[in-house]
Amino acid sequence: MTHNAYRQGFPFATALTALVLFMLVAGSARAELLIRITEGADAALPIAVVPFAESGAMPAGDKVSSIVQADLTMSGEFRPLDPSKMLSLPSQRSEVYFRDWRLLGQRYVLVGQLNRTGERVEARYELFDVNREERILGETAGASANNVRTLAHHISDRVYEAITGDPGVFSTKLAYITLNRTGDETRYRLQVSDVDGKRARVRLESREPILSPAWSPDGKQLAYVSFETGKPVVFTHELATGERKKAADFPGLNSAPAWSPDGKSLLLTLSKDGNAEIYRLEIASGNLTRLTNHWAIDTEGVWDHTGRGIFYTSDRSGGPQIYHMERLGAEPKRITFGSRYNARARPDAKGEYVYYVHQRNRAFHIARINLKNGEESVITRTESDESPSVSPNGRMLIYATQQNGTSVLTVVSANGGAAYSLPAADGDVREPAWGPIVR
Amino acid sequence: MSVALHLLIMVIALAGWSWTSPVSEPEPRLISARLVSPEPRPSPVVDEQDQRDLEQERRQQEERERQQEEAERRRQQEQARQEAERQAQARQREEEQERQQAQARERAEQQAREQEAARQRAEAEAKERERQRAEEERRQQQEAERKAEEEKRRQEERRKQEEAERKRQEEVARQEAERKRQEAERRLREQQLEALADQSNREREAEARRQQEAAAARAREAQMLTESEKYQSLIRERLSQAWYPPSSATEDMTARLQITLLPTGELANVRLVSSSGNTAFDNSALGAVRSLTRYPVPSDRDTFERYFRQFTIEFNPQRLR
Amino acid sequence: MKFSVQSKAFAMLLSVGLVAGCSSTGDTMDEEGYGSDVAPLDQDGGSTVYSGADGDDVSSSGLSDDQRQAAQQQAEQEALRNITVFYFDFDTSEIKQEARDVLVAHARYLADNPRQNVRIEGHTDERGTKEYNLALGERRASAIQRFLIVNGASRGQLETISYGEEKPAVRGSSESAWAQNRRVELVFQ
Repeated sequence: MTHNAYRQGFPFATALTALVLFMLVAGSARAELLIRITEGADAALPIAVVPFAESGAMPAGDKVSSIVQADLTMSGEFRPLDPSKMLSLPSQRSEVYFRDWRLLGQRYVLVGQLNRTGERVEARYELFDVNREERILGETAGASANNVRTLAHHISDRVYEAITGDPGVFSTKLAYITLNRTGDETRYRLQVSDVDGKRARVRLESREPILSPAWSPDGKQLAYVSFETGKPVVFTHELATGERKKAADFPGLNSAPAWSPDGKSLLLTLSKDGNAEIYRLEIASGNLTRLTNHWAIDTEGVWDHTGRGIFYTSDRSGGPQIYHMERLGAEPKRITFGSRYNARARPDAKGEYVYYVHQRNRAFHIARINLKNGEESVITRTESDESPSVSPNGRMLIYATQQNGTSVLTVVSANGGAAYSLPAADGDVREPAWGPIVR
Repeated sequence: MSVALHLLIMVIALAGWSWTSPVSEPEPRLISARLVSPEPRPSPVVDEQDQRDLEQERRQQEERERQQEEAERRRQQEQARQEAERQAQARQREEEQERQQAQARERAEQQAREQEAARQRAEAEAKERERQRAEEERRQQQEAERKAEEEKRRQEERRKQEEAERKRQEEVARQEAERKRQEAERRLREQQLEALADQSNREREAEARRQQEAAAARAREAQMLTESEKYQSLIRERLSQAWYPPSSATEDMTARLQITLLPTGELANVRLVSSSGNTAFDNSALGAVRSLTRYPVPSDRDTFERYFRQFTIEFNPQRLR
Repeated sequence: MKFSVQSKAFAMLLSVGLVAGCSSTGDTMDEEGYGSDVAPLDQDGGSTVYSGADGDDVSSSGLSDDQRQAAQQQAEQEALRNITVFYFDFDTSEIKQEARDVLVAHARYLADNPRQNVRIEGHTDERGTKEYNLALGERRASAIQRFLIVNGASRGQLETISYGEEKPAVRGSSESAWAQNRRVELVFQ
């Protein structure tokens, strides 16, 4: 063994070195390859909403699956497959051939059946993940036969939540103001509709301006400004009963109502003390607390997501900008700097973004600011944009814009990705307010 | 890493050096081992062979002489016998004539005489044969005794010769061994010197070779890495297109999936090794990974095995729209 | 609303003329002010204003110089008081220089007629947010109100209201329409 060790020592050591080298190299390769994916598809998610099988006479009008399709499309996050391109029309799990749907490039398939018994329609529906070949949702839901839209929106909500992890908002309501002018006749109407603009109902009609509808957190009341008495007065309006109350009728301005998260107080802009300042009004007691005190205009107050601070518009810098007061009474902090005109903040419920009206190059857009990094970005391509209102899940935004000389409502995904115009109503449609999710 | 590598190499070099250094002691043992190893037969063997041949020849010569004497003797005896026989035949022919003449008359007498004569002759012959046999036996005995004597003498001589030879050979071997031992010692010293001289050379060579090998490994590694990077970016691109981050995704979310591929690029297995904490997000990642029917993978099997047989994909949105 | 079309037009032209005559107050904000749409009015407006000021038969005899001067001043004041609409630059409530004489005339008149009440209506153009515009209209009305009080009117005579962008004088989304809508109207009651 040891003889001629001098001669053997060298190649032996070399071999060992090489071995160790290899092991080191191999060892580093053992630290497995890691591929990071930091960007997703710049497209909406393909989903097949298969027309539901039906047993029993269904009410006339839109089909449930069509409403679901429209809802998902409106969200901007989904790209429902045209049913005419479907290879089969399954209505239950045993009929779903994943390979077919994969071939069609679909990620999810929604199938279902509708059964009518008496005045009730019941839906049994299932949602499948095509690639994982798994059922991720299987439920039944029912509604009265004249509320098939309610049923459809519910299904849309469930599908949306199952896939995105965020609650769906298709069952929520919109409030908005329409304005009709015929000759000298002017009609303002406060309306409430489904989120897709369907099933609109007029809640108040006036010759004088109605402004700034705002939803109570429970979705049962609206607050708004009405000039019906010849001056701006803030009313609260119980939707179920139609009961109205004057919430604020102070000298000068009474405007910009916004509900507190607990629904017990309103933020208001009053000018009773000289110029526009923000106050907090406790509804039950009528107690009024002044929150701002500045010679400049302070208005458009709205609670932040914590419910402890407010965002508002002030022109103390020379033009309207958005300020944040983290606690009532704290020193306000200006948060928008991107242009000379930024107003009417509408924060999302997560405290990630604040949306607002933003002027750029003589046009008005909706922009948002990322509260984490202060990044401001314009998210609408239209001009003359007004009145942004964020969906309760923070994923969609509705705003008013001009189209052929009249004001219309447009829904965009919160990142501005997809736009969807609500069906044109009669006359101008303005000041949309997205209602809360009501469980 | 490289520091560790160098350390390792140093350790290995030291180990190799320490293994090689204490070898000078066992070397003589090798020499003595060689001492007992059998040497080739020395040349005197050839002399002994010649001697043995000469002896044999001499012996053969004696034998030949002895046999010639014997043959001469036998030939003379034969001649005597043939002479006697020829005389007897002539006598017999005379006697035949007489006998033929007297045959008829004295057939019985004749017969009796003949028989007597035959008997006497047979007796005489038997006596002769007996004598000859005894003579032969005596001669053979003498011969055997002589041979035994001869053999004994020869063996004694050979023994003496062999003893001398052995002693001579032992002396030669001892001298040879001594010579070899000295030679070995010289060589050992030379080797030690060489070894010392080689030491630095070896170290230089080792270093050079190590660098060469490292460079080769790096080159191969780099090639595989380049190849790997190409396919990594292809996979990244395909997955980015296939991934639909759910609306609830935030930039804080990270899901890690370990995937196993077949050399064909088909997905063999996928496993969520680290959840984002958001089911929809995890599902979107799983859906993306499963949606690719075939992953772009290198055709080079080594590169595939090293990087793409099994790897991890991390989904972490950085630029949410 | 209660004024004749002619008087409104006159006031308008006068005002515009004053603006034109006082270019030094030109705004620095790129997206505001009276744009080129308004400019053609300049020539007519200019002549109207000055003929209106000079065109009186002021050379008539029988009156003393003082009387004549007083009469002339009264006539001028009345002419000024025909102007009841005051225009503003975008997102400002600053009273323009040329409006000051007119407002002084109104203030004096109100001081002389304590039972005369006036409603000061603030308006904005359609641009910007409705609520901010309500406040902006309010501020414009308040600016006029303060000016009137400083110049002799009493607070009790004055009432302010803002309609924001809800009641435009001119419909449309042109620079001209916006310029005519950014205003305060005095409504004598």
